[in-house]
Amino acid sequence: MRQNGGVSHLLLIEDDDAIRTGLELALTRQGHQVSAAASGEDGLKLFKEKRPDLIVLDVMLPGIDGFEVCRRIRRTDQLPIILLTARSDDIDVVVGLESGADDYVVKPVQPRVLDARIRAVLRRGERESTDSLSYGDVVIDRSAMTVTKAGQDLQLTPTELRLLLELSGRPGQALSRQQLLRLVWEHDYLGDSRLVDACVQRLRAKVEDVPSAPTLIRTVRGVGYRLDPPQ
Amino acid sequence: MTDSSTASRGKPGTGLLRRLRTTSLRIRLIVVFALVALVAAVSVSGIAYWLNRDAVLKRTQDAALSDFRSSLDRTITDLPLQPGCGELQTAATLMADTGLQYDVVLEQNGCVANSARGFISPASVPRTLVTAVTQPCSYCASDAGQYHLFWQRITMDGIPYLVGGTQVQPGGPTAYMFKSLADERSDLDSLAWSLSIATLLALVGSVLLAQLAATTVLRPVARLGEAARQLGAGRLDTRLEISGAAELADLSQTFNQTAEALQAQVEELSAREHASRRFVADMSHELRTPLTAMTAVTDILEDEADTLDPMIAPAVRLVVSETRRLTDLVENLMEVTRFDAGTAKVVLDDVDVSDLITSCIDTRAWLDAVELDAPRGIVARVDPRRVDVVLANLIGNALKHGGSPVRVQVRVEDTELVVRVSDGGPGIPEDVLPHVFDRFFKADAARRRSEGSGLGLSIASENARIHGGTITAANLPSGGACFTLRLPMTSAVEPGHPLAADGGPRPTGPADPDRPKGTSA
Repeated sequence: MRQNGGVSHLLLIEDDDAIRTGLELALTRQGHQVSAAASGEDGLKLFKEKRPDLIVLDVMLPGIDGFEVCRRIRRTDQLPIILLTARSDDIDVVVGLESGADDYVVKPVQPRVLDARIRAVLRRGERESTDSLSYGDVVIDRSAMTVTKAGQDLQLTPTELRLLLELSGRPGQALSRQQLLRLVWEHDYLGDSRLVDACVQRLRAKVEDVPSAPTLIRTVRGVGYRLDPPQ
Repeated sequence: MTDSSTASRGKPGTGLLRRLRTTSLRIRLIVVFALVALVAAVSVSGIAYWLNRDAVLKRTQDAALSDFRSSLDRTITDLPLQPGCGELQTAATLMADTGLQYDVVLEQNGCVANSARGFISPASVPRTLVTAVTQPCSYCASDAGQYHLFWQRITMDGIPYLVGGTQVQPGGPTAYMFKSLADERSDLDSLAWSLSIATLLALVGSVLLAQLAATTVLRPVARLGEAARQLGAGRLDTRLEISGAAELADLSQTFNQTAEALQAQVEELSAREHASRRFVADMSHELRTPLTAMTAVTDILEDEADTLDPMIAPAVRLVVSETRRLTDLVENLMEVTRFDAGTAKVVLDDVDVSDLITSCIDTRAWLDAVELDAPRGIVARVDPRRVDVVLANLIGNALKHGGSPVRVQVRVEDTELVVRVSDGGPGIPEDVLPHVFDRFFKADAARRRSEGSGLGLSIASENARIHGGTITAANLPSGGACFTLRLPMTSAVEPGHPLAADGGPRPTGPADPDRPKGTSA
């Protein structure tokens, strides 16, 4: 996992040489250790070798594209993935979030913004308290940062875990999407509500008995989401 | 022109003609057909009637007169030269006793003999006939034993009569014959009646025929009209089936050719338009890749600029600032092409408008320059980032081109969210006002080039439109410009927008078993 001293190891997968070089320079300068790959295949190989803390992934890649890379990594690993996408209202964003990405940035991205997103995602995995909560057969262990359902370990990404922690920290209280964006994604303001919706969807798929009829994480129409302790 | 038309309308005849000319083809056809049928039927019937009448009357008349003459001949020879009244009466009765049923009046020496069927008397004889009979006549046959028969048709008590009269010889009796023509008249009346009915039938038939003809002629015309309307409405693939009479088929063909030419032209134009838009979209897309790489390193350059050679530092700063400007321009250009292509998407969320505006102002460090009048708690369902773009444009413009105080006022009017951004500047010149939302329109041609891409207000306007709202610009009476943004409070997506998105997978509607229950803080 993450090395001591706050130096995080990033894997940058981007096919365009100039962008790759530029981002590598900028991110290295921001204090990250960066490995770079020019294609999805190389990226997956490098991922297995280097075990990075976070992946910055371009969507448009020759060969296997960013979505497929994202899906393949999610099969085994829950590390944070940030997508580099062409436009904010593109179908890319939705598909990318559905394939398991934690956040996205739009090209051309300011290195400061990207760095802020990276640090925010990495913070989500940090421990904050030591108590443990249980909702029905779902047990959230805040000290071990693990979630179990009926005794089985659930594989949650740091973002999903943080979302569950924020919701479970205020049981019965509805949180708006914009509130959740601030709390979980640390977007300064006006984040994309699709991030929340996609993450709730993924979280439901993992913790709910019937994801299409959720009983734990409920939608509050016109407001946002709420975690209900089972009666 | 007006005078003459008014004048002609004043005359009833011309007015009717004019009206006929302007009424529908169907009515004109029917009127013309009916007129032709009427004239033909009436003249044919009229001629037939008159010929018949003549023939019937002549035959009856000839028969009656010749019978009367022969009967007179027979009777007169039996009469003594100076007959008595009784003898005259016998003679008259005898004469009238034929199959032709006429009455006879004999008159001699003051004796009047009547065949005594009713009211007939010498007084009934018309004066002209009496004169003709009693006057010596120069042109009459002068043979001995011959006498001239005069006749006249008269009507007595509504019954037509043929009256024949003669003076047997000078000094002889004057004989008159009254033959009723009532039978003939009733025959002729029934003939006239039949002819009238035939005329009426011809008229009705002609109207029906005209209707049929009008329908056959007008159906293609109506089809043509409908096709032309569709063509006008933009359905350029409208074509007519070529059928019917030669002229109409020809017209249909001409229509089809015109439509084809029009379609080809429009297609070519829109293809060109599409190509040029495509070019702009592709170009801005292509520009973005190098810009992304450049943007990635601008921060490094900026940070290092202070430590660089004083000759080089300004150059580096220029590259950094212009790269950012170029990035903004390309972003705006891409946004515009997205609106043009209809691929711009709305991601809706429920947001507190006051929070949204405060964040917008705060992020851009405008808090001190803007007076915000926004009640808390107004929640609207909008795309927060698009509304942010609109607000940033309007407020940024007010700060740049207007002057303090810049005021932002938020109100809910009916079901609309109304945001007014006003400034204390000189206002917008009236001739510029209609163009403020045009692309690349700059009020002052000599304006410094660093003042924006020229797309800001256009993009703001498109962003409002895609929400189903509007932006309007006006000048305040007190001076200064006022931009008004109006957005629907809910379901803000332009209906029918192909790519309207609703914040990703968000279950709503009655099928959602996950409904809010109880209260939530």
